[in-house]
Amino acid sequence: MAWLGLALFIGVEVWRKLPVGEWQDPGAGFWPLGAAFLLGGLSVVNFLKSFFDKSPEDLEPWYPRQRWRTIVLIMASLMAYVFLLEWIGFVLGTFLLLVYLFRSAEPQRWVVAIGGSALITITTYFIFDIWLKTQLPKGILGF
Amino acid sequence: MDFFTNIALAFSVIFQPMNLLFCFIGCIIGVLVGVLPGLGPPAAIALLMPSTFLMSPVAAIIMLAGIYYGAMYGGSTTSILVNIPGEAASVVTCLDGYQMARQGRAGPALGISAFGSFIAGTIATILIMMVAPPLANFALKFGPPEYFCLMLLGLTLVTSLGRGSLIKGLMMAAVGIFLGTIGTDIISGQERFTYGSYTLLDGLSFIPVIMGLFGIPEVLEVLEGPLRREIYKTKISNLLPNLKDWKDSIGAIIRGSFLGFFVGMLPGGGPMIASLAAYATEKRISRHPEKFGTGVIEGVAAPEAANNSASQGAFIPLLALGVPGNATMAVLMGALLIHGIKPGPFLINRNPDLFWGVIGSMYVGNLMLLILNLPLIGMWVKFLKIPYPILFPMILLFTLIGSYSVNNNIWDVFSMLLFGIIGYVMKKFEYEGAPLILALVLSPLMENALRQSLILSHGSFGIFFTRPIALVLFVMAMLSMGSQLLPDFRKKISKIEG
Repeated sequence: MAWLGLALFIGVEVWRKLPVGEWQDPGAGFWPLGAAFLLGGLSVVNFLKSFFDKSPEDLEPWYPRQRWRTIVLIMASLMAYVFLLEWIGFVLGTFLLLVYLFRSAEPQRWVVAIGGSALITITTYFIFDIWLKTQLPKGILGF
Repeated sequence: MDFFTNIALAFSVIFQPMNLLFCFIGCIIGVLVGVLPGLGPPAAIALLMPSTFLMSPVAAIIMLAGIYYGAMYGGSTTSILVNIPGEAASVVTCLDGYQMARQGRAGPALGISAFGSFIAGTIATILIMMVAPPLANFALKFGPPEYFCLMLLGLTLVTSLGRGSLIKGLMMAAVGIFLGTIGTDIISGQERFTYGSYTLLDGLSFIPVIMGLFGIPEVLEVLEGPLRREIYKTKISNLLPNLKDWKDSIGAIIRGSFLGFFVGMLPGGGPMIASLAAYATEKRISRHPEKFGTGVIEGVAAPEAANNSASQGAFIPLLALGVPGNATMAVLMGALLIHGIKPGPFLINRNPDLFWGVIGSMYVGNLMLLILNLPLIGMWVKFLKIPYPILFPMILLFTLIGSYSVNNNIWDVFSMLLFGIIGYVMKKFEYEGAPLILALVLSPLMENALRQSLILSHGSFGIFFTRPIALVLFVMAMLSMGSQLLPDFRKKISKIEG
């Protein structure tokens, strides 16, 4: 039903803000409205199909029984990295993220986690910032 | 220009030192992508695309193409030694390849896979040289209605030949079409779904979307399962197949090469379907079909030849028609557009160095891959032994940096993670990412072609039915959506995969 919601959202937004135009001169809203109709129609068909085709497998949870907490925490750490990156800078942010990731799924020894994180952070900094001239965020520490 | 002049041009481009170097780098990265789990060719190409911004377009495309066909070589190594396909296109190689390894014949399996891929790559290169120029000449007759129908056909084929439900595939295509409309309307200049964001004015950056949809979910899925992989402990020796091995597999390699090429050429075909079709064909015509799955060398040779040939055949719709046939080609199309090159029928005449250079690189790249995969097989096996808990933080970091470096914009990284979460949930509910990516790339082109067609015809949809080429393409698109036409094939795919 989330897809039907998206289709409705597109439809409403087109109706509010974009001209659909005429057949001989389609406007900016014509193509997205077509996508909304297609998505909406198919969402309804899919919903009805899944409603009538329900199998015992559908009662199984869709998320993994094992390690779901680890997966959620990894995604949360990546999100936190994105939000804090411009403030703490690439080098410190990446180092902290990597230490966490090395310790997350199957905890590595601290020596491996810290040493590996430092090595990868410095290497990627040199490759991307210095060699490829990607302007990585500097943050409060200036690097 | 005649055939031999084109070959001379192809080799003169590829033998320029920088092009040769980037071809080599692309092949190495490709094998690595094939060997390592959790990163497929579309995500890897998207990841490395920003690093090509400073290169010449020819070197950039040569390197990115090398990643694609290189991954086909690498994928077979994990299929044979670990029973885990490094790439979806190597799924079927597990069936007989792993059994051969268990019987102590890992060497010949890896050997025939590399030689088969090389022979197939060579045949495919010659076929591209023969097929692409006339096809591009034919496509010069195309106007907006023909292009719209051709792109529609590409989209419906990708959806109908996919592994999942047709309805879900079409829904993903619709989502991709919508995402492709975000930004400024190129005809009226009106902003669509931008909500005041300057970043969105140029449209949704597709590199983070691809990395999110194809990179993050693969990593998370691997993290769900056991992280320790059992590599079959066998001494890898006798990589050169013996005379009997050659006798058993040469026919399969030739058939797989031709079949793979033509399946790869079809929009939506691609290496995975080619390898499945080649395996099914060999099993059907074999004098001992019951032995398939127990470690017969034809069961390795045919799919490996087919997937390599298909990965090269897939360049034809992109380079000659300007329509990507699968998600990886959609990413490559994005790379071409970023480098200011419009793929399509004019490409061969306007950018002959690029077209023939890429073709030349495929031949030279296949030779490099043969050398990389046979004498250096031990090195790739060592990569297989890197524990995943060490590997996955690096893959995630590369997706973060890769998406940031597209525009040096933190919003792109956020967008990548958002699509990563969406992609993971989509995988759980069996929604495929390929139709979405293809639609995202094609959406602006399709919209343009549709609106131009309607303006030309004064609002009549009859323009799609009165022009013969458009009509044929439209009918083919509609037929491809009738998934009932292919139930046997779809069942076979599920059966072999399952």
